[in-house]
Amino acid sequence: MTATSIWRLSVCSLVSMWILNPRRSNAENFALVDSVIHLNELEVSANKHPIATVQKLSGKELQSFSATSIADALKYFAGVQIKDFGGLGGLKTINVRSLGAQHVGVYVDGIRITNAQNGTVDLGKFSLSTLESVSLYNANKLDVCQSASEYASGATVYLRTKKPLRDSLSVMARYASFHTYSGRINAQINRNGWAAFIDGEYVNSSADYKFRYKSEYEDTIGIRRNSDIEYGRIEGALYKKGFSSHIYCYLSERGCPGGIVRRLSDKYTNVGREWDKDCFIQASYNGRFGKKTQFKANAKYSFEYLRYCTDYPDNQNTAKVNNHYRQHDAYIAFSTAYTLNSILSVNLGYDVRTSWLYADIKKFQPIRRLDEKGVVAVNTTFHSVRAVGSLLYQHYKDYTTLEVGAAHPLNRFTPSVSLSYSLRNFTFKGWYKNIFRVPTLNDLYYTQAGNRNLKPEYTKQLDLGVEYFLNVAHWHASMQVDIYQNRIENRIVCLPLKGTYTWSMMNYGETFCRGLNANLSCRYSIGLLNLSVLGSFTWQRDLNRTDSNDTDTYNMPICYSPAISFGITGIVAWKNYSITISDLHVGKRIWSYADPDDILKPYNNVDAKLSADIGKFVASFEINDLFDVQYEHIPRYPMPGRNFRLSLTFSI
Amino acid sequence: MKHNYKFLTIMIAMFVSQVVICQEKIILLNEGLWQADNGRISYFENGKIVSNQWFRDINGTKIGDTPDDIIQVNESLIAIAVNWSNIIQFISPDGKAVAATEDVPNNRKLASDGKYVYVSSFGHECMVNGSMVEFKKGFVAKIDINNFKVVAACEVGYEPEGIAYYNGYLFVANTGGYAFQEDHDYESTVSIIDADRMKVINTIDTKQINLYGKMSQSGKYLCINSAGDYYDVSAATVIFDCEAALNGKKCCTSLEFAATYNCTSADGNFYAIGSRYSYYTGEYTFNYITINPETVMNTDGADGVTHILPGTVVQDIQKMSMPYGIYVNPYSGYIYATDAGSFVGAGSLYQWSPTGVLLGKHKVYINPAHFLALKPDSGNDGCPDIIATGSREDTAIYNLHGIRVLSPVIGNIYIQKGKKFIYLNN
Repeated sequence: MTATSIWRLSVCSLVSMWILNPRRSNAENFALVDSVIHLNELEVSANKHPIATVQKLSGKELQSFSATSIADALKYFAGVQIKDFGGLGGLKTINVRSLGAQHVGVYVDGIRITNAQNGTVDLGKFSLSTLESVSLYNANKLDVCQSASEYASGATVYLRTKKPLRDSLSVMARYASFHTYSGRINAQINRNGWAAFIDGEYVNSSADYKFRYKSEYEDTIGIRRNSDIEYGRIEGALYKKGFSSHIYCYLSERGCPGGIVRRLSDKYTNVGREWDKDCFIQASYNGRFGKKTQFKANAKYSFEYLRYCTDYPDNQNTAKVNNHYRQHDAYIAFSTAYTLNSILSVNLGYDVRTSWLYADIKKFQPIRRLDEKGVVAVNTTFHSVRAVGSLLYQHYKDYTTLEVGAAHPLNRFTPSVSLSYSLRNFTFKGWYKNIFRVPTLNDLYYTQAGNRNLKPEYTKQLDLGVEYFLNVAHWHASMQVDIYQNRIENRIVCLPLKGTYTWSMMNYGETFCRGLNANLSCRYSIGLLNLSVLGSFTWQRDLNRTDSNDTDTYNMPICYSPAISFGITGIVAWKNYSITISDLHVGKRIWSYADPDDILKPYNNVDAKLSADIGKFVASFEINDLFDVQYEHIPRYPMPGRNFRLSLTFSI
Repeated sequence: MKHNYKFLTIMIAMFVSQVVICQEKIILLNEGLWQADNGRISYFENGKIVSNQWFRDINGTKIGDTPDDIIQVNESLIAIAVNWSNIIQFISPDGKAVAATEDVPNNRKLASDGKYVYVSSFGHECMVNGSMVEFKKGFVAKIDINNFKVVAACEVGYEPEGIAYYNGYLFVANTGGYAFQEDHDYESTVSIIDADRMKVINTIDTKQINLYGKMSQSGKYLCINSAGDYYDVSAATVIFDCEAALNGKKCCTSLEFAATYNCTSADGNFYAIGSRYSYYTGEYTFNYITINPETVMNTDGADGVTHILPGTVVQDIQKMSMPYGIYVNPYSGYIYATDAGSFVGAGSLYQWSPTGVLLGKHKVYINPAHFLALKPDSGNDGCPDIIATGSREDTAIYNLHGIRVLSPVIGNIYIQKGKKFIYLNN
């Protein structure tokens, strides 16, 4: 561990909004050392000045949240809107600054999780337990040596796996509300510079939670049906110096419940079921040629299987669907950075990905997509000023024997620029990014919906921000405020075709969004007592600019987007005990323009977590939605309300 | 054809001269968004929307998810098929809930002879006389309005949609609409059911696939939309003669137009609007037509279609974002159409005079689609009397062409004793 890396740790910790250190136990010290090594190896930049807009949750504080999936952790970040269909198995996606879920790239150790078919990543499939940190970058991360893919999304979520520092074995058992049982086993070794872990988890939940809809026109009490999930996840990783690799498998079966609609009895369920098998294997190597050249090589293969079925014969009365989708995806990338002098460095990257999609839907043929990306980025640092400019080239070409034919190949250049200036404990930043999302294979070719003439959906983002950190005596504090403006053009949406009974994907709509994100973290530690307060705040005004003739919708807020949301978390840690309380407030959201009553009510969700280290055991007790607030992300998809989790972990 | 125009002109002239005394009462179903449980009923009277949540206002409860059809059963009863809620809701003409049944899941369209309600269903199970009956394909259920229970049901083709009652028989258009997902092809048939025995007596192949969407009836004629498959088979319109079908004669003719949204006009023709779309080319061909079914049948489709709707109706519909329904008030001849707009915003109801003069545009709710006109109050019985065919003592029933009708059809408009009326009872 070099002096530089320790220095980098402190800077990174303090400028990252979410860094705090609730306890000074031995375990915590390990976590700190762990972080240092990661930063040293993966953030090879020597730049002193932060430039990217980032929020980060890492180490113990990441684990101190009452969260089981990444979505639970990300919802506390400013500018994030979670879409959650409820229950453990409900699809969970995030939307950052109203760009739309498909503009958010999710990366595991720097390699993107892709889905050529639908372009979204279900965050419920990724566990927090193997992660060292979760970071959200608006636009993208700005390291000296990055792959072209890392520049290719409107917002970027980085999941960094936890590299083992010593040999250990831990076993966790958990019971939670709604007949939820889970177990997890984690084994780690660290020998002769090699480090590896294996992590396996099994979860079974009926998710048969109670809900209630009470309004002027109804008082519906019910139990959620067909919301069950059973999944197994096993993953492993192997590290040595600049080499890291990861293998991941996820198998699940879940119910896909529908919206709660008026029924006279419980006689019918209109539901579907879904089976998933997702696997990937990936490897990455970072190295140097001499003092001035760094390089990184990535490779990945992934396979995804999805079967969707209507619940026939239990559910006899809707279309009898039984479709299977298989995707293969192979990816390699090479990037290099050359440092010309202390002021200037250049990053070049080239990525190529090929995806295959097979499905047994009617009038469908296999599709292969070739996706190539190239990037040139220039990094300059001059005294307290840092600037990065990048130009990304993307090429997409599809091959298919489908009768409708393949879409025209796509070739596009998109730029971005970032500038920062640091003055004492302040950093002032500004950036602009132009990026698009390419139409997915579903968007283009899905039977009776696809439209191969779709144009890419563009986003143009502008951001101005300031960061401040304070590090005196027992106090560590940091603050970050950003104002931003986004424009999203040619939104890709599914709309009914005029004068027919069928639907099609179309480029329709424009969004204009202005907002403010603020984060605050404050930590006080004295003796064995650590107190932390973390806050995030979002004000956003995103407007529908689709049709200026439509006075009902033009310049109205985008559906599902709250004007105000904020989260506040307090953590008190003393000796081996800690208590975390979080409150997340999400303001009113409209879900249709047709009636002022078509709103989702504002809600406060309070979570609490107590945990205690007793010898080789860690016990934790969590209460989610403490005040049993009945709220929704999607109308008629109720969330579970108050629920409990009790976990016991044994480690050696 | 010329003769028809003359007749139309005379009628139009009469309507225009006495427009002021018409009383308009329209119930409009807004489908809402699927699985959002926000189906709503709008009630429109005399140029104004009375409520866009009429059912809620009167009953204090919601109608349910995706109301899909509404018919008048008799003078005191209206039936509404609430598709995704698996409910047939019965209301009185003042909007009060009378009864509801969930015995017919995935219900689609309704027909009635005044005593029973007949429901087509895409589902495969039905509660008949208290026990569950299963069907491989789709079925039609018969509900007794004395107890609102299903008394009989019979299997037809896959995914049956439009249903009409004519002279003791039911005519059911089969779609096979789930062919895209299920292991069967599109259907191209009309099933004929003896309504009394609930037995299929004949199945007529129309040679057009996917007979999907609203089906309109004018006397013995039906106007059926064939949606095609949007790839190799284009949308079409089938004109069907029920009488000929019962007599074993040639009974259907295809037209190369879409009738996505169709209705029966005041003079017994059909208005049809729609488009033929192909996923291969991504192109639409729109049509806005008036169909004279008699001429179409007599000329085997060579004649009987005009690309005209009254007044400015075509121009006004062309300006809509998303036309979603068309209707003519059988009591008054007033023309209505809906625009679904952006689908997340409120749709609009357009009203035209019988001559096609745009009278107003009204904000309703999401996906306004299905209409029912109520009989005007007594003493204000809709539009003026027209052509008195025969003496005032003559109790015979005539259609609007002045032709005597022996078996009037429920819900259609006729003339008796020199007065126009809607036929509701056997």
